[in-house]
Amino acid sequence: MDGTFLLQQLVNGLTLGSVYALIALGYSLVYGILKLLNFAHGEVYMIGAFIGYFVLIGLGGPEDLAVPVAVALTLMFLAAMLGSGLLGVLIERFAYRRLRNAPRIAPLITALGVAFFLQSSALLLFGAQFRSYGTFQFMTGGIEVAGVRISTTRILVVVAAFSLMIALTLLVGRTTLGKAMRATAYDREAAAMMGIDVDRVIVATFLIGSILAGAAGVMFGLVFFSVYHLMGFTAGLKGFTAAVVGGIGSIPGAMLGGLLIGLAEAFSAAYISSTFQDLIVFSILIAVMLFRPTGLLGKADIRKV
Amino acid sequence: MTGDVERSGSGGPDLAAARAGEPLLELRSVSLSFGGLRVLDELDLHVDEGEIVSVIGPNGAGKTTLFNLVTGIYRPDGGDIDLDGESIVGLEPNAIARRGIARTFQTIRLFLNMTVKENVMAATYGGTKTGPLRSVLRTPGARREEREVERLAEERLAFFGQRLMGYRWDQPAYSLSYANRRRLEIARATATNPRILLLDEPAAGMNPKETHEIAELIGQLRTEGGFTILVIEHDMHVVEGISDRVVALDHGVKIAEGSFEQVATSERVVEAYLGTKAASTK
Amino acid sequence: MPQLPPDELGTTGQPRIGTDEWVASVEGRRERRSGLTGQLLDRLEALPFWQPLLVVGVLAAIFPYLTDSDYVVRVGFNALVFALLALGLNIVVGYAGLLDLGYIAFFGFGAYTYAILASNKFDLHLPTVPAVLIVIAASALLGLLLGLPSRRLSGDYLAIVTLFFAQIFVTFTTNANRITLPWSDEPFDLTGGPNGISGVDPYSIFGVEAVEVTSYFHIALVLVVVGMLALHILSRARTGRAWKALREDPLAAEAMTIPVNRLKLMAFAFGAATAGLTGSLFAAQQIGVFPQNFELPLLITVYAMVILGGAGSIPGVVVGAVGITVALEVLRGPAEARLLFYGAILIGLALAIRPWLRLAAVLVATVALGYVVHFVVGSLWPRSVARPPAESEGLIGEFVDSWMLLPTEPGTIGNVAYVVLVASGLGLTLIRPAWRAFVLPPILYLAAFVFENRLIYQPSVTRLLVLGALLVVLMNARPQGLFGTPRVEIA
Repeated sequence: MDGTFLLQQLVNGLTLGSVYALIALGYSLVYGILKLLNFAHGEVYMIGAFIGYFVLIGLGGPEDLAVPVAVALTLMFLAAMLGSGLLGVLIERFAYRRLRNAPRIAPLITALGVAFFLQSSALLLFGAQFRSYGTFQFMTGGIEVAGVRISTTRILVVVAAFSLMIALTLLVGRTTLGKAMRATAYDREAAAMMGIDVDRVIVATFLIGSILAGAAGVMFGLVFFSVYHLMGFTAGLKGFTAAVVGGIGSIPGAMLGGLLIGLAEAFSAAYISSTFQDLIVFSILIAVMLFRPTGLLGKADIRKV
Repeated sequence: MTGDVERSGSGGPDLAAARAGEPLLELRSVSLSFGGLRVLDELDLHVDEGEIVSVIGPNGAGKTTLFNLVTGIYRPDGGDIDLDGESIVGLEPNAIARRGIARTFQTIRLFLNMTVKENVMAATYGGTKTGPLRSVLRTPGARREEREVERLAEERLAFFGQRLMGYRWDQPAYSLSYANRRRLEIARATATNPRILLLDEPAAGMNPKETHEIAELIGQLRTEGGFTILVIEHDMHVVEGISDRVVALDHGVKIAEGSFEQVATSERVVEAYLGTKAASTK
Repeated sequence: MPQLPPDELGTTGQPRIGTDEWVASVEGRRERRSGLTGQLLDRLEALPFWQPLLVVGVLAAIFPYLTDSDYVVRVGFNALVFALLALGLNIVVGYAGLLDLGYIAFFGFGAYTYAILASNKFDLHLPTVPAVLIVIAASALLGLLLGLPSRRLSGDYLAIVTLFFAQIFVTFTTNANRITLPWSDEPFDLTGGPNGISGVDPYSIFGVEAVEVTSYFHIALVLVVVGMLALHILSRARTGRAWKALREDPLAAEAMTIPVNRLKLMAFAFGAATAGLTGSLFAAQQIGVFPQNFELPLLITVYAMVILGGAGSIPGVVVGAVGITVALEVLRGPAEARLLFYGAILIGLALAIRPWLRLAAVLVATVALGYVVHFVVGSLWPRSVARPPAESEGLIGEFVDSWMLLPTEPGTIGNVAYVVLVASGLGLTLIRPAWRAFVLPPILYLAAFVFENRLIYQPSVTRLLVLGALLVVLMNARPQGLFGTPRVEIA
């Protein structure tokens, strides 16, 4: 296999990795604040993908758009992000809020239940068949770098993903809300005592994470076309793996982890076998957990006994 | 198991520590840091058999960390910790507990949803050996051991008078009053048949009457139970009443050691608690 | 010591720390037990465990002979299989408090291992006893291996690792019919891929082959009874106490000489072994194994059973298993599903709305509202009532026909109604309890609308929805399930 093939996989991996990074960010943010693994996050991503799909269809579908492509894309993204964001907020409010101080098992099982409920609801509402985003007319363009064709779609997706990540980093690093989020993640009680409205911060965290997941869903649809009710489950697992590999609770970690997992998947699918790509990712997860449980960029959690 | 007197502190002179007056528990030059924060700095500490030693110091001095180190929850960065002359550094907490170090916790960590008796019986795990298979088959050995475990638990609970007796045995631990929960935690610790008991702020949150009772209890634990005791305490009355020796820590460093009078009047100790000006106006 | 803050919705009966009310409430509890049911419950609880177990066991053994239908016996067998699975999961989750989301993979592993050892696949036909023993040992070993990372992992990480493992298992079994081995050119077929392995040998005990489903029913019954007994004894013995202590507070348990990691592994291995054994039984009865048998919905089902029954309660999880199995079977046929649906709503309402008058008012209002809506909307848009309801024989069918809107094209409107229903269900929890009765009739009508127009035609999806919703509701409203005891936790 020559260099172009390698580069092609690199591009694939980066694109997929950007999607995973966005999902991983949602996991990391919520885990940082609540120490909760939000299993339902993958399903929020799936719903975002479906919302984007339905908006696309509503606007005439990829073949017969009633509005310019840019407008269509904007609408799809906005709708998905808003829809997913709202969904995330609802989930927090009705499924998790009462369990804030319950033993860890309780919210985990609840999250599993929510995930399953959402997945089954999607099955009921949308049926089991795969839906396809199809290809945009203008999106069939592309550029060529070192003999590798990179479609406009992929460029768009990667750029959009990175923009969102930069926006998030700015939000968390520079704004008051971001500061409040970081404080709450360190010590919820102390933050509350310092006058931070912990409830609002938690809602904001879920909102942001879910918005990112919704965007990721549309991106996946644009690049990989197919959307179906089970897509959230595996993507969720991979997204979580990415968050752990990068260091859960760490934002740059989630981004790095996402890219790594995306690359790992692309390369193992190309060079080994696509059926065993899941196994490879799983092995990476186990390896990281055994040998570096705090992840690549994570910090050790010092707790007072 | 109840026939085992070798490791129980039930009053008999112990062979091992009786040799040449070696301390039962010894820390030599023990240090620990969390990231950049040096929590314990070259600490030397020893407890002889049959002693009651109190550890005092302002909050953050490293007292509970000391307990955590001794019981194996943390591993020291440097230095040695010996029990009976044998190093216990690097052992798992449950192995250290089996060797004979038992503790209570500052925040009372009981098995809340288990009954009072079950709490104490659970702590006998290390001294028993019936596996799941023999338990299920109800072999004579298993049944015998179970009876002994029950008896031991009742015995340890009886130490506290009527408070944890009779109908209380089958009450869930969460229903006990605060003082009783402290007592139960101590009872549970004694059920591991320890050589040394580490009590972390046993009098915390108690009213004067209960405090007095706890102080008496600690004394009884030594005289009747034969336990060696290392206590972290803030209440100076208790410290004064029970201690053979007092060790004062501040910022991870030992700043005084000796009898209560010596330590309480030491300038460094007053300074640590009250500030430099107070020390200089003595 | 901080007191637990009162529950948001003021659920009583939640134990509080440090108040010696347990003692004080003795009188109260004695009084409550005075009625006939009370006395009955009292007597039941005083009995040693094995007595009611024996009675129920004997009754259950007679069960297959009370019916002519093989189908019914097979449902019974399924219920017992689930009961076994629930018992095994109870050890891992209920006793040791470990969240093992890959539990089903052990079930599948056991089934596949048995299938490989005793079928036409590789022409291995090991006799039952050695095959089952190998399955148990291998499953326990696998459980140990998977549990090893749990040494360093907190509960959350363990959940993800095990969940991922379950996913890997399904992927593996679906794809392992084309494994390339370095020393041969032909791909090696281990698991039969999506078609699984068929031609699995039935169980053969003491020379007698188990062919009928009744035999398997009895085998499963014996296993369940023995399992319940063994677990009951174990929970009161040294190992059980240590597990419970580990669930309560692993740090304190460790300090009290309990080797927490070893016990976690033991629990994992026990659970895995139980699941593996059950898998072999399942494979033998079905005479085949397929990857689709072991997917996520099965995991959710078993968890729902354990949580509903009460994690940590041995009879509880068995009741949960049997109850949910039967309910899910009933959901298959539209007429029965309808009964179950309306029946469940009625029971739920009866439990939630105390004064009989209020309950009656809500029901009457709902029915009345329905007729009114049917009349008004039906007059304006005849097509909205033109479709005959599913299974429309008899009184019930007629009732539904005249009460419920049944548009000729229920798809889209049904979907919208579903979303609105979920939203209003959530909103219901926000309304003050006293006012809820007023909002209930339209919501109930909407629920019936969604049921009659969408859910009743898709029983397989409905069961999934119900299971997922059940888990969420249970964990929020009654985490101890039906038979568990409310637990006190310090965060």
